[in-house]
Amino acid sequence: MSDTVQQTRFRRMLAMRAFDEACLDALRRKAIHGELHVGLGQEAIGAGMAEALRPEDAVVSTHRNHFHALAKGVDRRALLAEICEREGGLCRGRGGHMHPFDPDTNFSATGIVGASLPVALGYAHAFAMRGESAVAVGVTGDGGSHTGGFHEAMVMAAARKLPMVVLVENNALAISVQFSEVSPTDTVAERAAAYGARGLHVDGTDVDAVADSFATAMAHARDGCGPVIVEATCHRFRGHFEGDPEGYRPRAERQRLRDSFDPITLYRARLEAGGADPAALDAIAAEEKAAMKALLAEVLEMDMPDPAEALRYRFTEEAPA
Amino acid sequence: MSAPDRINDRINDRINDRLAMPLPATIAEAIALEMERDPAIVCVGEDIGRAGGVFGTTRGLQERFGRDRVLDAPIAEMGFTGMGVGLAQAGMRPLIEIMFVDFVGVCLEQMYNAAAKIPYMSGGRQRMPIVFKTAGGCIGSAAQHSQCLWGLFAHLPGFKVVAPCNPHDHKGLMAAALRSDDPVVFIEHKALLLQKGRDFRHHPDVPAEAYTLPIGQAAVVREGSDVTLATLSATVEHALAAAEELAGEGVSVEVIDLRSVVPLDTATVAESAARTGRLLVVDEDYLSFGLSAELTLRVIEALGHGALRQTARLAVPDVPIPAALSLERAVVPNAALIAERLRAMAKGA
Repeated sequence: MSDTVQQTRFRRMLAMRAFDEACLDALRRKAIHGELHVGLGQEAIGAGMAEALRPEDAVVSTHRNHFHALAKGVDRRALLAEICEREGGLCRGRGGHMHPFDPDTNFSATGIVGASLPVALGYAHAFAMRGESAVAVGVTGDGGSHTGGFHEAMVMAAARKLPMVVLVENNALAISVQFSEVSPTDTVAERAAAYGARGLHVDGTDVDAVADSFATAMAHARDGCGPVIVEATCHRFRGHFEGDPEGYRPRAERQRLRDSFDPITLYRARLEAGGADPAALDAIAAEEKAAMKALLAEVLEMDMPDPAEALRYRFTEEAPA
Repeated sequence: MSAPDRINDRINDRINDRLAMPLPATIAEAIALEMERDPAIVCVGEDIGRAGGVFGTTRGLQERFGRDRVLDAPIAEMGFTGMGVGLAQAGMRPLIEIMFVDFVGVCLEQMYNAAAKIPYMSGGRQRMPIVFKTAGGCIGSAAQHSQCLWGLFAHLPGFKVVAPCNPHDHKGLMAAALRSDDPVVFIEHKALLLQKGRDFRHHPDVPAEAYTLPIGQAAVVREGSDVTLATLSATVEHALAAAEELAGEGVSVEVIDLRSVVPLDTATVAESAARTGRLLVVDEDYLSFGLSAELTLRVIEALGHGALRQTARLAVPDVPIPAALSLERAVVPNAALIAERLRAMAKGA
């Protein structure tokens, strides 16, 4: 593997972390007035996805969607502006952080846990019936893997061998409920066998491993071999949402996860062990942080939507000419 | 027989043939014509392919357009309703059939949180051209297979909600729904699906070619001067029967078919009620927080307080639809109940 690929992965993770840190900054500055779900600790999954995604592929994501959007190539300025509720945002400030829609990159999300997968199924059917080589990726968490929609989407996708990849970010916590306490199986990936689908289990804190597994899954689906469940285990470093009192886990446990499983720290150690120049890695980190700081400053200058336009965009006739 | 006579005979035969068409065949014809002109239309639902739909509204479509475009889905409404959202986002124009509207409880999530909201949530960037085709209304199947629920969909912002009453409107409004870029809930009435063209009092004629009707325009189906009666779907037939009865008693009833709940054509109803001074809204859906109160208030807001001498509502009085015929007749608006209410109004001020 060339250094270039590794550096790109490292940079992607840094860019994702800087993005969500900018969101936290925006929240502190009261530029976001609702719920915010950041993905700190889960950067290796977003960064690992990015390489195997093609422009024609679709990604349908979750309430914790920023990294997937960036991986799919959604413009980060428009995304940050949407999260900050601006008229110049991806969805003119109507969607907000849980509901970004970008038809240009085939990216969308839902704030309803598990509801992403049936939508991905629809993309997959469209791609297959049109004879296109695109793949639909539905992202969900361990919580979403227990929903009826997960099962229904897998039944239909597998029966028709549709090009769908279900990416399960298993951070072991559905808000407070632990995966081990509610799952009948040790992993989500092993459930794939019940659908006659392929299941892959990967350490979601290892960006190289995620990139490999995700590429394998995408190739499998793209080649017409049917859907794949990719389960990436990871850890959520912050609460379910900002302001979550996290009464369900001790502070020391959270700190232990941060100290042991930070995908950026882990990857940096691997790169340095392989001879990477620490100064060069520092420079990448500094560049990404500075870029996001500048971007946030720019976004905070953007206009809020006009209250007189609050009813617009419900129906086609209300949309701009 | 002269040549022109022979031609006229043939035309009459053809018209008679079309009057013999069951309503489901008319609906299937509407969908087929649209599928022919637009390859992006894909139909998904239970029993719509090989069986042609439990009422026959998709009969022949799978044979003609193939299994990818007319897809027999497993009993997985949440899955295939959300699939409709994904199909729409991928540039297709899905028709998703929820066999009975009562089943919407298992897939409402994808309808109201995704399909209905995405156009707005995306700031107009993501269109959602989906038709949710479903059968509603009472044919004696009790509480879980008899509801209308158009008031439910109308309450949730983002849907257009259509419920036609005759073959002509079913064909034109189905075509309009399939050409709309907005999500349309298209509610067929089961009692009407069991009828043929000639069974209908109003507009049984259906042109063979494709045509559309504007969604959101009510139709005055009987003119009158004493009472304005607004309703829709199968109740239009009951209203016409009641109006005929009342005409014999010297009461002139104007009957308006709303045709859609969203958009709601308040103007047509208000114009009529301003003339008659009396408004009766009849609704086969539930009474409270529904169409009857909404329309009545919109008319009052349009005309001003005091513009009407009487307003009245007749709807299912907030009770699940009972199984026993004696009970069903007591709560679901029918010609007898409507006539009774009209008589009471005529005796009033």
